Amino acid sequence: MPDATGAPGSAPDAASRPAATRKPGSPPEATLNAALAGRGAGGAPLAVLRERARAAYDALELPRWRRSGFWQTSFQELDLDALAPIAHAPDPRLPEILAGARSAGVLVQRDACVVHVELDDELAQRGVILCSLEQAAAQHTELFERYYLRRLPLDRHKLEAASAAFWSGGAFLYVPPGLHIEHPFQIVYEISDGGSAQYAHTLAIGDRGSELRLREYDVATGEVAADALHAGQFELYLEDGARCRLAQLTDWGEGAVSDCSTSVVEVGRDAYCHWLPALLGGHLIRHHYELVVAGQGGDMAFRGVLFSQAHEHLDVFAVDLHETGPSGGDVHWRGAATGSSRASFEGLIQINPGAQRTHTYLQFHSMMLSDAAKLDAIPSVLVSADDVSASHGGTVGELDEMLIFYMQTRGLTRPQAVKVIVEGFFEPLIVQLDDPPLEQQIRDRIGVKLAAASDDIERYALAR
Amino acid sequence: MATSLEIRNLHVRTEEREILRGVDLVVRKGELHALMGPNGSGKSTLANTIMGHPGYEVTDGEILVDGENITELPPHERAKLGLFLAFQYPVAIPGVSVANFLRLAINAQREEPIKVKEFGQQLRHAVELLDVDEGFTSRHLNDGFSGGEKKRAEVLQMAMLRPQIAVLDETDSGLDIDALRTVAEGVKKLHGEQGLGALIITHYQRILEYVRPEFVHIMMDGRIVMNGGNELVERLEKEGYDRIREEVAASA
Ligand SMILES: Nc1ncnc2c1ncn2[C@@H]1O[C@H](COP(=O)(O)OP(=O)(O)OP(=O)(O)O)[C@@H](O)[C@H]1O
Ligand SMILES: [Mg+2]
Repeated sequence: MPDATGAPGSAPDAASRPAATRKPGSPPEATLNAALAGRGAGGAPLAVLRERARAAYDALELPRWRRSGFWQTSFQELDLDALAPIAHAPDPRLPEILAGARSAGVLVQRDACVVHVELDDELAQRGVILCSLEQAAAQHTELFERYYLRRLPLDRHKLEAASAAFWSGGAFLYVPPGLHIEHPFQIVYEISDGGSAQYAHTLAIGDRGSELRLREYDVATGEVAADALHAGQFELYLEDGARCRLAQLTDWGEGAVSDCSTSVVEVGRDAYCHWLPALLGGHLIRHHYELVVAGQGGDMAFRGVLFSQAHEHLDVFAVDLHETGPSGGDVHWRGAATGSSRASFEGLIQINPGAQRTHTYLQFHSMMLSDAAKLDAIPSVLVSADDVSASHGGTVGELDEMLIFYMQTRGLTRPQAVKVIVEGFFEPLIVQLDDPPLEQQIRDRIGVKLAAASDDIERYALAR
Repeated sequence: MATSLEIRNLHVRTEEREILRGVDLVVRKGELHALMGPNGSGKSTLANTIMGHPGYEVTDGEILVDGENITELPPHERAKLGLFLAFQYPVAIPGVSVANFLRLAINAQREEPIKVKEFGQQLRHAVELLDVDEGFTSRHLNDGFSGGEKKRAEVLQMAMLRPQIAVLDETDSGLDIDALRTVAEGVKKLHGEQGLGALIITHYQRILEYVRPEFVHIMMDGRIVMNGGNELVERLEKEGYDRIREEVAASA
């Protein structure tokens, strides 16, 4: 029987609420993409780090990333004064998205509060910890301080600082050495309404030789008509020999949710991570992902799926960083764009000095479904060791009319045929999740997005 | 459901030029026809136009199914009428298994989705008919298939979708002797069991020796210039297209 542990957190009080600070005058410099490269701010008590973050928050501007004259990702339109953390009472019900799923544990944060925590009893007895991050800071202080912000900075831009200064609730997961856990841990961040400021933080640790599955869902539950913000930080540390399959499904729906987040995964000696973020909806998303292979023999498969539609703006920066060798990497992302959406995938392989005998490959494949959409892929490689192999590749695809005709002759309608093509395009990554319920969720969501864009896709086909 | 496919004075052009220049042909359910003709004479164009390929414009004439003009119907509606095309160059569908694709295609033509068990039985039956491995249907359709596998996959789809009238565009090309026999026997069986009508486009006598069509047509320069029975095939084999071309020119 799952038991409900972990008290839901409270929303930050008004006094510590972020105040907007936007200086008049010339626009600030755009933020350039660079690997975090181990720039962790941690190692101090939470109160100290929060204070530091608060100072950075006050001093910094809202971020903007600019790649060229006409392409930029800017959060400078965001009116922080109009946003506030929203408090909720505990909720015994499981979120809809987890219906029917078997879990090792579940943690749900609604807006600013953790409203639901459950952890398999037996796992709790064996030393697994799943609780709000607030609770972890108070009750598992030693563990918390050892890992919190080990790899994440807190002062690169205002939203990062806001997240580090003001996060509430939060998720903490610890899996002790040698424990193999079959069912996934599920962490859900929900935004329920416009005006919500959700400063989220997940800290997860797979100790030596442990094996786990972790899923994070970032979803909107209500109709988010007014602006809302998710500024999240995610960190996962896999100690020596640990193995994790991590999936993050971000789908803020068609509402006005902006999301500016950073996720980092550290892979220790002989550890392995299969990581798949799926970015399937959001008004404005900027996500920095960084996978750090920090120990010899560390290996990873870094997969990603993105699909932008309508007026969505999606900016992904994904880093495959190798600090030591021999190590392995395999980065493979796929993206599709419809409507007049803007999406960009910038992928960086960085191999530090001394990371000899590292082998890694980065590929991005895109599928254009509209002439008004833009989908850029910008791969780069930064190598500071000589005995390595690091390269990148990719393709740019469009709908193949011959393929559509072929399927039509088998009785499929045009939209059905398009759906098969697009699903088939993502399938090689989805099937690797090795997690049928999650796979189906992603397929279904892609199906819904396609259906919503079908008029658009038709227009595009006819215009060609 | 289609019991006859009638092509009347069909003229077809692409952006560049006219390819079919007045084709007349009738194929009924239960009949086996062969269509032969030199490279570039317009056989595949006819096959594709019958199915409604958007790249070919019908400028004159009609395609009738049971007397109804279908020239304006989209391809999937033609499939629903019971028409089928086995492609000369089947395309790959990455990420979609043969079995899953067939399930989609079958369900596209039904109100209720097909039952798992019924689908499984039909698939096993088709797999045996085409003599392919068990694993074949879980591979991605035509993705990395050899030439012969692609052709088998075409006939496998035909066996599953049970059309009334099928066009087989050089389904025999690229098959070794054993595969050719399997495919030909498959077609004959569907003809015998389901009353399949077929228009078999080919360059070779061999498949026709197995299938024994009752009607043979010869196409040249976008027209059907000669109709007959099996004796035409033998004549072609001996004399080649040049003699026929001369004869047609003389009688014109
Ligand atoms: N989509 C197209 N665009 C332009 N020209 C085309 C197109 N399709 C066919 N053609 C041309 O029309 C003519 C007939 O081609 P088609 O493929 O129908 O011949 P075929 O009889 O099937 O030949 P084969 O025996 O080589 O398969 C050829 O000259 C070909 O190049
Ligand atoms: Mg041809």
